[in-house]
This record gives sequence, C-alpha cells and structure tokens, in this order.
Amino acid sequence: MYNKAIRGPLVLGNKNIGQITSEVLSPMERKLPVWWYIALTISLSALTFGAWAAYRTIAFGIGEWGVNNTAGWGWGIINFVWWIGIGHAGTAFSIFLLVLRQKWRTSINRSAEAMTVFAILCASMYPLLHLGRIWLFFYILPYPNFRGPLWINFNSPLFWDVVAISTYVFASATFWYVGMLPDFAIIRERASSKIKKVVYSILSFGWNGSAKTWFHFENLSLVLAGITAALVVSVHSIVAMDFATAVEPGWHTTIFPPYFVVGAIFSGFAMVLTLVIIMRQVFNLKDFITDSHINAITKILIFISLIMATGYATEIFISWYSGNQYEMFTFFHNRINGDYRWAYWIMVTCNAFIPQLFWFKKVRSNIAIVFVIALLINLGMWFERFVIVVTSLTKDFMPANWHSYHPTIVEIGIFIGTLGFFVTGILIFFRFFPVIAIHEIKGVNNIGEESNH
Amino acid sequence: MYWLKQMNLINPNKSIIMEEKYILKPQVKYLSFAAIAVGVISIAIGILQTPARAWTSYLIANYYFISIGIGAMFFLAIQSISQSGWSAAFKRIPEAMGSYLPVAGIFMLLLYFGFKYLYPWADSNLVNADELIKHKSPYMNVGFWLLRVVLFFGIWMLLNFLIRKESLKEDIEGGFKHFNQTEFLSKIYIFVMALTFSLGTFDWIMSIDIKWFSTIYAVMNFISGFHHAVALIGLVIIILNRKGYFKMFNDSHLYDFSKYLFVLAIIWGYFWFCQYLLMWYANIPEETIYYIPRVEGVFKEVFFLSVALNFAVPFLVMLSLKARRSKLAYSIVAILMLIGLWVDLYTQVVPGSIGTLHIGFIEIGAFIGFAGLFAFLFLSTFSKAASVPFNHPYLSESLAHHE
Repeated sequence: MYNKAIRGPLVLGNKNIGQITSEVLSPMERKLPVWWYIALTISLSALTFGAWAAYRTIAFGIGEWGVNNTAGWGWGIINFVWWIGIGHAGTAFSIFLLVLRQKWRTSINRSAEAMTVFAILCASMYPLLHLGRIWLFFYILPYPNFRGPLWINFNSPLFWDVVAISTYVFASATFWYVGMLPDFAIIRERASSKIKKVVYSILSFGWNGSAKTWFHFENLSLVLAGITAALVVSVHSIVAMDFATAVEPGWHTTIFPPYFVVGAIFSGFAMVLTLVIIMRQVFNLKDFITDSHINAITKILIFISLIMATGYATEIFISWYSGNQYEMFTFFHNRINGDYRWAYWIMVTCNAFIPQLFWFKKVRSNIAIVFVIALLINLGMWFERFVIVVTSLTKDFMPANWHSYHPTIVEIGIFIGTLGFFVTGILIFFRFFPVIAIHEIKGVNNIGEESNH
Repeated sequence: MYWLKQMNLINPNKSIIMEEKYILKPQVKYLSFAAIAVGVISIAIGILQTPARAWTSYLIANYYFISIGIGAMFFLAIQSISQSGWSAAFKRIPEAMGSYLPVAGIFMLLLYFGFKYLYPWADSNLVNADELIKHKSPYMNVGFWLLRVVLFFGIWMLLNFLIRKESLKEDIEGGFKHFNQTEFLSKIYIFVMALTFSLGTFDWIMSIDIKWFSTIYAVMNFISGFHHAVALIGLVIIILNRKGYFKMFNDSHLYDFSKYLFVLAIIWGYFWFCQYLLMWYANIPEETIYYIPRVEGVFKEVFFLSVALNFAVPFLVMLSLKARRSKLAYSIVAILMLIGLWVDLYTQVVPGSIGTLHIGFIEIGAFIGFAGLFAFLFLSTFSKAASVPFNHPYLSESLAHHE
C-alpha cells in the first residue's frame, strides 16, 4: 500500500472533501479574469488567420503551398505529425502511469486527456486540407460505391492512418468525456442558475451516484482504457509507417515505429508540463499539482530524452554500417552537414542535450526554467519532423531532381490557425470543465495515512 | 529504527523475514556441476567433430544468459526509477542474476577461437574481396571487437557491483541514503546499457549476417532479454516459494509479474512485426537477404515457432484474469518462453553461420552446461545475502501488496 510517510502526500494542505471540490471548481465559478479574455482574443485572431489560409487552400488548391514535385510533403505533414505526437500524452498519462501504478497521475490526467482531444482535432485538419478536393473526403471510406471498380488501396499506410486516427479521436474523446461524468454531476449539484443546472444535468447523463452507476462507470472506464492503450501504440506506429514503408533514404528504417511512439510521448509530456505549469499558476492549484508532480514529469522527460538520443545515435551508426551510399549521404551530408544542418542541430540540442539539465535538482525545482525547457522540447520535436520530411525529400536519389522547399504564408497560416484552435479549446476547457478529476483526487487525498490501514 | 517499527505494525513476523536467507543445498550444487560437465563434454565433442555447430551453440547459450542477466538488471533499475513498491521484496533475485555477467565476458573473449565459423568479417581474405565488408572493417575487426567486449563487460560489472553494494549496505544501515543512491545508479545504468547492449547485439549476433542491418534490432533483443528475465524471475520466485522461501508471496505479486509478461509479449511482438513488415513491404535485396532463408528455407517452422512461444503463448494465456493469478499457468508460460528465447536466438544465429538446421546433442548439451553455470552463480550469489531486503523503504508496501 501507499505509505505517506515514505512517499509524501499527493495533495497538500490537509484538505477535506468539500474544500477539494470548491478549490478545483473555483475557476468555473468565479468571475472570468481579464487575461482569459485577452488570451481568447489572441487565439481567436489566430484561428481567423487559419480560416483564411484554409479558405485559400480549398478555393485555390495546393498550389498555394510551397510543396513541389520533389518535396511533395511539407509543413502539412510536419504539423500533422507534431500535433498527433502531442495528442499522445493524454492517453500515455492515463494508461501507462496507471499500469505502472503511479498514483500521482490523478491530478494531471484530466488536462492531459483534454489536450489529446484538441491536439488530434488540430492534426486531422492537415490531411483533410492536403486532399485538395476536400469535398471528396468520403472517397477514403471503404464502402460499396458507384465509381466503378475503384476501391481503396488497403495496402497504403495513408489509409491505415485514416482508420487509426479516426478511431483514436473517438476513443480518446469518449474516454475523456466518460471520465468527467461524476464531476459534471458535482457541478450540477452546485449550480447557482437554473440554466447551468439543466446543462450540466444533461452533460452528466443524469448521474445519480448510486452504487450501480459507479459500477457501470468503472467497468466502462476499464474497457475504454484497454482499447485506448493499444491505440496509443498503433496510431503513431502507423504514422511512422507513412514514412518507413517508402524506400526513401532516411525514412526506410525499421526503428521508426517505436521511435515515433517514444517521440510522440516525449513531445506530449512536454506539452502537458507546459500546460499544467500555467494551470497551477493562474488557478492557484499548487496543492493539487504539486512540485513533486513537476519533478516526476521532468524525470520522465530525462529518461525519454535519453531514448531519443540513443535513437539518433543508432540511426547514424546504422546508416554508416549499412554501407548504403544514399543513406550515408542523407545522414552525413544532408542532416549533420549541409543546407539543413541548422534544423538537425536544433533538433539534437533541444531533444537530446537540453533535457539533460533536468539531472540537476536545482533546474528541476525552478519552475521558470522547467517551463522554458518544456517549450524547447516542443520546438525540438517540431524540428525532428521537419528534418525527417524535408531533408529526405528535397535531396533523394537523383541530383537532377533536387529541389528546395520553403513554406508559403498559407501553410504558415494553417499552422497558426491550429495553434489558435488548440488554445481556444484549452481556454474553453479551463472555463467550463473540471480541470482536475475531482472524484479521483479525492480518492488519493488521504492515501497512506494510518487511519486507512 | 523507524522502518522496522513501520514494518512491525504491518507484519508481526518481521524476524522471520529478516533472518530469511537462502541456503544452497549440496544436491542443488552437484546438480549444477553435473550440468556444467554435460556442457563441457558436449562442446568438447562438438569442437572435435563439427566445430561450427559447437561454436554457434556456445554463442547462443552464452548470449542467452547475457540477455537474461542484462534483462534482470534492467528490471531492477526500472523498479527503482519508477518507484515501484510492489516488487521491493524480490529485488535480491534480479540482483543475483547479474552475477553471471563477469563470467559471460570471459566466454565472449574465448569466442575468438570460433570466429572463423561465425563471423565473415573476421576472415581477412573475405574482407579484402568484398567492398561492403571492407567498408565496415574500421568498426568490425577482431581487435576492436575484443576491446569492445572488455569495455562493455567492464562497465556492466562496475555498475552491477555498485548497485549491489548499495543494496547490501542498506541492510546494515537502513534509511534513505542507499535507496536514493540506487535510483541514481539505476539511471546511469539504463543509459549506459542502452548504448552498450545495442552495440553488443550488433557485434555478437547481427554481424553474423554481415551485409544485413536493421535499426530496431538492438531494441528488439533488449526487450527480449527483459521479457525473458521477468519470466525467469517470476518462475524462480514460484519455485523458491514452494521450497518455503518468500512466504509473503501472494497472487497480487504474481498478478503483477503476469502483467509484465503480457505487456512485454505485446512489445516483443510489436518490434518483431515492425521489422518484418517494413522489410517485407519495402522488398529490397539488402533486407530480404535476411528473411529469405528464414521464411522460405528449412528454418521456416523454427522461425515461426519463436513467434508462437515468445508472443502468442504469453499474450493469449495472460489475457485471462484467472491465468494471471495462477502459479501453474505462469510457470508453464515462463518455461515455454524460456524455450522460446533459445529458439529465437537459434533462428537469429544459425541461418547466417551454418545454414542448415540441426538440433542435437551439441546444441542441447551446450545449453545445459551454460544453464548449470548460470544457476550455480545465481544461487550462490543469492545465498550470500538476506533473501528479502529488510531495510528497503518500500518493503512494507511490497509485503502488504493487494490489488
């Protein structure tokens, strides 16, 4: 059992159950702060810019982007993979930490899952927009159609992607929503206005708190957890296979699937860290998201960073060991050295070197530095996708086909738009949803005290 | 001491636990010596008759227990880093399994005499005749290879020694100091192991098929070692529990070991499939060269048997809640998996070195020999300290583990 004397408390401040409820729900119940409106204005402006960029893409076609015959993929797929990666942390928090019996996850999993849902919605914009004729999206669905013998290419990882990601969106959204049911019921009970009461009553599916309801709830959570656990691994493996199945130097390597999964969890954890640092600061939730939570996440980040570093080293070593001149060119003359070396070295510095600062306790306990490093990891992971996509495509087998790639304002606009969408989503989540799983945090409040033995 | 007081509250049988120490019975000792004798005889006969078979069996058996040793130490390190409480009582078992590594290093160096039967890059005529092998020779040459063996095993031995020392000191002094130090060492160990064992798998096994390469190869073998080490740790605990040790071992502990087998089976299968799928899909000669003899030749059955034993068996059996809490089910799965590791290594080594399927006295005898040696080293190290780390801060959590 959990021994508080050894492991330390998970919730600070000796709170009773009522205090926990009011403190967690206080962001929803007090007057909206000014910064919330400012942030919303900025994020909605970004979203508007993105809408304009999406309009240009849909109305005028992919020619609005900087992609060309040689570099057929650009910011679109880079940002797609980046968002998907971020989206993985929610599930990773909920599932892996549950399996590893990490009880501290209870105060973070809710926000991580929210992040998952918004990030995946952002990600799914890119393949849709890259279709060119977005209104023919339904062609990808395998149904008996009247288009002659035209059937989907089931051998294509791009199709696997559609299947995996749409499943993931539904499963993780359901998992997130179902987890909130008991908390919605709490909000309903506390609602001051009639409208609020009705809305949250509907949102809570008429939760009545009976033993039978809890029984159903727990069983459903278990089943959903089992399904999403497999999805975490499958989704990003398939994203990796978008690259790895192609016989393209720098892409076709067997380590890609697990390496992408680890990278995804890495960027996702960094994003969770960014988010919870803001959350505990502005909503005064430091008793729930304690310094030891931040400490634990930074420790995980060191560990994953080392896996990433090992991955980079393995890739370089094997590219030399293979004796394949194209592989060697890609790694030694096009990544480590060459036109895009700045991108490669930003990636290595941010992902492999800077997180090593977390070895020092001083760094781990300085929230400002932790925040900056978390942002740098997100940057580094963005550059990882940039390096993979752009260096391999712009210079592949035939020098006559080499072509540089520069994003246009439309591509950049779509990215800014998804950032706006993400922040807007998070702001709404902060305001209208319980940011910490109240019923779970109550379960670990007095954990490990003598009276519980 | 505070920790002991804590334990008293939960476990009135504290003194029994504290004094519990494994006694290596003479019968067990002689049995392991007999096994070693079988190994020596079969390898000796093999070297005289069919040296290629003898040396491949030797490599397979030695590497088998290296990966178990490394996997066990990894298990120990990961428990420490993830602050896992449930497994604290059993940490002496993986700790003792690391004791095989120093001996394994010496065996690895002795492999020098069998180089010509295993590694194409060790043959200077072949190296000069082949552009591709020549390209690799700055790394893959006899001198550097041996140097790396010394280096890798040296580092592992040092870290094993330090981790073991902290653990034993904790028995005497108690407190948090050694516990924290172990966590720190575990972090270093995992990092060092990731690099060294990766290169080790390339050196010892992958380089047999000198022209073939795969980036996932190292992780796959690493996870395989971890997976099978957990199987063996659980199995040993079940056996010792039957003999009267580890009285607090309950089905919640077993359940956690079973979960490890289940999850690691999925990861193992996942890695195996990643490599297979991507090579099948790309269908380029420098990669299919590896799979053609394994999938289309005489090795076909053995090759897929490995998937059945290492993935399908633990995955399907451990799906069942009842099986996860059954000692019998765990034992059967673990034994099948331990056979599976040998089969897996056989299909990795033999198609590239001998090329014909032949499992007989030499192969099995060599394995029995190494198994005897491993068992002896493991049990004698295990018998040297208390079988339960009674000052471990999470011990009370581990003893009262119920899920």
